[in-house]
Amino acid sequence: MMEQLPLPTSLAEVEALIRALYQPNPPETISKIQEVLHRLQRSPEGWQLAQSLISHREDNIRFYAALTLIIKLNRDSAGLGEDDATGLLENLVGWVMQSLADGAANFVVKKLCTALVTYFMHFSHLWPNCTRHFIYCLDLGRGAPVDSLDDALGTDVLVTKLDRQKLRLAIWFVTSLVEEVGKTDMTAPKFHQVHSRLVKNGLDVVCLLARGFSPPADSPELKIQGEALNCFQAWILYAQRASPNPELVAPLRQLVSAAINSFADEDLFQPTAELFTDALGNYSSFFTDEHYDTLASLFESPWAAERYQRIVHGNHHEEGISFGLLILAYGDAKVQELMHSTDSRSQGLLARLGGLLAADGYLVGDDTIFVPALEFWSTFIETMIDSTYSDGEAARDWRPYAEQHLKAVVMSCWRKIQWPSAETFAEWDSTERAAFGDARKDVTDMLQSVFTLEGTSLVSFFAGLFLQALAAHSWAELEASAFCLGALSDCISDEATYDHELSKVFASPFFDLLSQAQGPIPLRLRQTALALIERYCEYFERNAQYLPNALNLLFAAVGDSVLGGPSARSISTLCSSCRSILTGEAGAFIRHYQTIRSSQVLDSLAEERIVLSIASIIQAIHDEAQRLSMFEELYTILKRDFELAVQLKAQPSLLNLQNPDFLRGLDPPNPHSVPPAEEIALQIALRSMRCLSSMAKGMQDVKEYPVDLDSDPHSQPANSRLASLQENIMRVLVEVQRVFNTSGEAVEIICNILRAGFSESQPGPFVFSPDVVTDYFVQQRFETPRVGTLLSTACSFVGSLYRGPQVYVPAQLTRLLPWVVSLLQALPEPEADTEISLNGITFTDKLMSKYPDVLFQPHHAPLVEFFFLFSIKVLDGTEPLPKGAAAEFWANFITLKPVNPALQQTISSAMTHLGPLLAASLARNIGGRAARSELDKLCEPLKKLVTTRPEAQAWLQSALLSSSSSTTDSSLDGGGGGGGGGAGAEQERVGVEERVGFVRRVVG
Amino acid sequence: MSLCQNRLQEERKQWRKDHPFGFYARPQKNAQGVLDLKIWECGIPGKEKTIWEGGLFKLVVTFPDEYPTKPPKCKFVPPLFHPNVYPSGTVCLSILNEEEAWKPAITIKQILLGVQDLLNDPNPESPAQAEAYNMFKKDRTQYERRIKQIVRENAAP
Repeated sequence: MMEQLPLPTSLAEVEALIRALYQPNPPETISKIQEVLHRLQRSPEGWQLAQSLISHREDNIRFYAALTLIIKLNRDSAGLGEDDATGLLENLVGWVMQSLADGAANFVVKKLCTALVTYFMHFSHLWPNCTRHFIYCLDLGRGAPVDSLDDALGTDVLVTKLDRQKLRLAIWFVTSLVEEVGKTDMTAPKFHQVHSRLVKNGLDVVCLLARGFSPPADSPELKIQGEALNCFQAWILYAQRASPNPELVAPLRQLVSAAINSFADEDLFQPTAELFTDALGNYSSFFTDEHYDTLASLFESPWAAERYQRIVHGNHHEEGISFGLLILAYGDAKVQELMHSTDSRSQGLLARLGGLLAADGYLVGDDTIFVPALEFWSTFIETMIDSTYSDGEAARDWRPYAEQHLKAVVMSCWRKIQWPSAETFAEWDSTERAAFGDARKDVTDMLQSVFTLEGTSLVSFFAGLFLQALAAHSWAELEASAFCLGALSDCISDEATYDHELSKVFASPFFDLLSQAQGPIPLRLRQTALALIERYCEYFERNAQYLPNALNLLFAAVGDSVLGGPSARSISTLCSSCRSILTGEAGAFIRHYQTIRSSQVLDSLAEERIVLSIASIIQAIHDEAQRLSMFEELYTILKRDFELAVQLKAQPSLLNLQNPDFLRGLDPPNPHSVPPAEEIALQIALRSMRCLSSMAKGMQDVKEYPVDLDSDPHSQPANSRLASLQENIMRVLVEVQRVFNTSGEAVEIICNILRAGFSESQPGPFVFSPDVVTDYFVQQRFETPRVGTLLSTACSFVGSLYRGPQVYVPAQLTRLLPWVVSLLQALPEPEADTEISLNGITFTDKLMSKYPDVLFQPHHAPLVEFFFLFSIKVLDGTEPLPKGAAAEFWANFITLKPVNPALQQTISSAMTHLGPLLAASLARNIGGRAARSELDKLCEPLKKLVTTRPEAQAWLQSALLSSSSSTTDSSLDGGGGGGGGGAGAEQERVGVEERVGFVRRVVG
Repeated sequence: MSLCQNRLQEERKQWRKDHPFGFYARPQKNAQGVLDLKIWECGIPGKEKTIWEGGLFKLVVTFPDEYPTKPPKCKFVPPLFHPNVYPSGTVCLSILNEEEAWKPAITIKQILLGVQDLLNDPNPESPAQAEAYNMFKKDRTQYERRIKQIVRENAAP
């Protein structure tokens, strides 16, 4: 605790403290001074202190006195009687007058105005006409009683008697008034009256501001029109919040013309533009048609033309873009009308708004108006789309005009998004680069909207620009054209209608240029061109003649450090969707892959994608023998990696980092120091396992392909070649896992490979027979890394079994159940590994729901018994995921209705034993142990218990009454849904009667 | 126009005017090319100086008719490996829960920033998937390796 300063005993000491507060001092001194001054301010002497210091010759001390007044008003207003309060107002006004008269600093005068506003917030009933009264006192030059106001002249006359200095003070006051009151909640009863009295001041404020806009000629150096604009803006903002409120809006509107006149004054242009931009953007209904008319004709004036030219050709950083933002805000407010009007004024304005997209300089560093202008045009286009549907035939009148603007907009955007030269780009900072990229994305969005309106013509437009730029070897234009075409791919790629236009591009000599390794095409254009190929992969599906060329281009780029990643992605997209056309190329692609591998180490992700691509082509090969041959060819490459990894692990001296096969094991590719050979061996293995996993994904059948209904794979004799291939794959996987037995990643990848086969209905190298999969699982021990993931894979396996021929299922489940339970038994406690408990419970639940007879086979009894108690412990635990699964399991178990009568009997007698335990656990949970978010799940078994078991009431009652079920956890905030009406019974504090009553309500 | 639509229009306007670096958020277009304001496609970049840096994750935000009284649903597509993301991809976050911290004043920007924060700062109190939750708790090194792998697969362009 900081040592406190003693309270000062004289005014001089206080003054000294205040002075010290505003002087450079160490922070701890400042906080000590602040603390003692606060104590003083809060003490009953605070009022007197303020009064004594308010006329001080030093501004800082005066300011502090004003601050003290505000603090006193906010803290102690309730203690003031009506007479005291009335007197205080007179004093306050008097002090303001005095400070003005003796030349106090502006910050002191403003603070005193805030004190007056604070007074209004607390005593608005004593000072309802505060604006008029304040103006009246200003005219008098002293504080006057509020009731003397009745005899005063009209406010409109009073304001004409004020000089500029007093006018400015009055404007400060009404600005602070509306801002401070505006900060309070209009709907709160406490402030309701304050707001309605504030609104009643509107007319007086308008008189004042009208005078502020055309002030008297004295002291012209006092620029008060700016203050008037600022104040007007604050009142408009308030009026918007209070709207609809005609009482306030109508008078305020009278000021608009005066405000518009301020545009003409060079010094006032900036605040005026801000005011109108803000009000048009946020409160467009504030302005009347007449106002809009005035603004529109202003925008047609030579003055506006000159301003406009400065935006389009000027320096945005030095001169700002206020005028541009102003006309954009106008356009946004009037977008419907502008779009529907074909008169020359509207058309002229739209043309100028379009011109804002064509200002000089690069995005976004030089040209800062483009992005806001694009925002307006996006709104315009969306309005066009909506109106095209809603206007029907009538759209014919305005649409040709609007389309003319669209053309210009599209063309300007195409120019703007062109990359600068590499030298210019290098000068940009990261923010500018990112903003440029963002602006290009915005253009993409806009073009997609334009496509909705224009369709083919937009595609041909860009195709035309593409060819023109190609002929001129204008790479930046070519890149922009390709980029824009790419932007449209989401809209058109799956429709052949546009292929004619696209063929102009894809058949052009451009792609020959692109394939030249040392060709003229700059990197950025290469990137965009390769992305264009990827985006239009459906086009290549329909136009296979261009596909080989495209893929060759992509393959050529795979080794490139920048283009490699995106190219590999494009290859996998193209190969995956065009697989059936490419089957003849599988061999060539495998050789391509081998060649690249032998010369360099690919990025591992790129390699996985390429392997996936080739596998997806292999998958589509119709002839089985050929398909398996190709598969083997690819698989053999990976298999050699596994062999190498295993050898290296056994014999670290084999490591030879000159050999790319070993270099594959460096992750990251250029490490600071060479890792141990064992680590390299592991990485080689993992990398190839991921490739194998990609193969498994690639080999998955794609649903869109026609299924031959006449074939029945199950009736066909098993293919021995396939079987031996599968056996080989499984042996390799098990071996790799054995050698690298501490690697969790290896296990994860094996799980992914298995899962890839689960979803398949046709035979394939990764579609292992159920026996093989089960064999694999049951060999895994608790010590195996990531055993939880293995269990979750086993759950997926059961799901896949359920979708297949049912004859195999019981045998697999019978073998899996003991394995699953053994893993649960190995857990030191049920919550030691949530993944294991969750998936163990899910597995058993899945098994029980479809094959209860397997679960309740007599020889499973000890397993089942363990499981039941295990799941109740989990239900009692705190881990949300397994707990939820246990609740679900029990809800399912309670309602289990097997057809077999013997099984029914088993289940029923099991329930007789387990019911009390379950009831006790549920009672504990609902009585306070469970979190609120868990109650819905926990109420399910409770509901089922109550509706299916007559003994439920007795079980629950005894659970609730037994002391052992009482919980030490704190109570819950409410009842669980469904069956647990008042389930929040906190047991320590809940009497027996209530507990019994609770059970009765639940059961009833 | 309904409150929901009005609010979403306003959210869109605000987002266009000012959005955090590296994010994107735009309403989906329906078959006619007209915007469906109630489904937004968003991108959340991994935060700088975290293991998530460099990744960009796609999130679909679906607004109910009762928005903003009720919160939107945020779903990573494809589902993301993360302790607080359900296997379906749905994000579990207090500000997205009507019964917890949702307030109608929360903006889309705040939601997306909140989800971005969650990436590197998971809440172990509300696990939504066992795999990531378990690994996060038991083997932080492996967890971070896995995240780096995911970031590589979802690299920001």
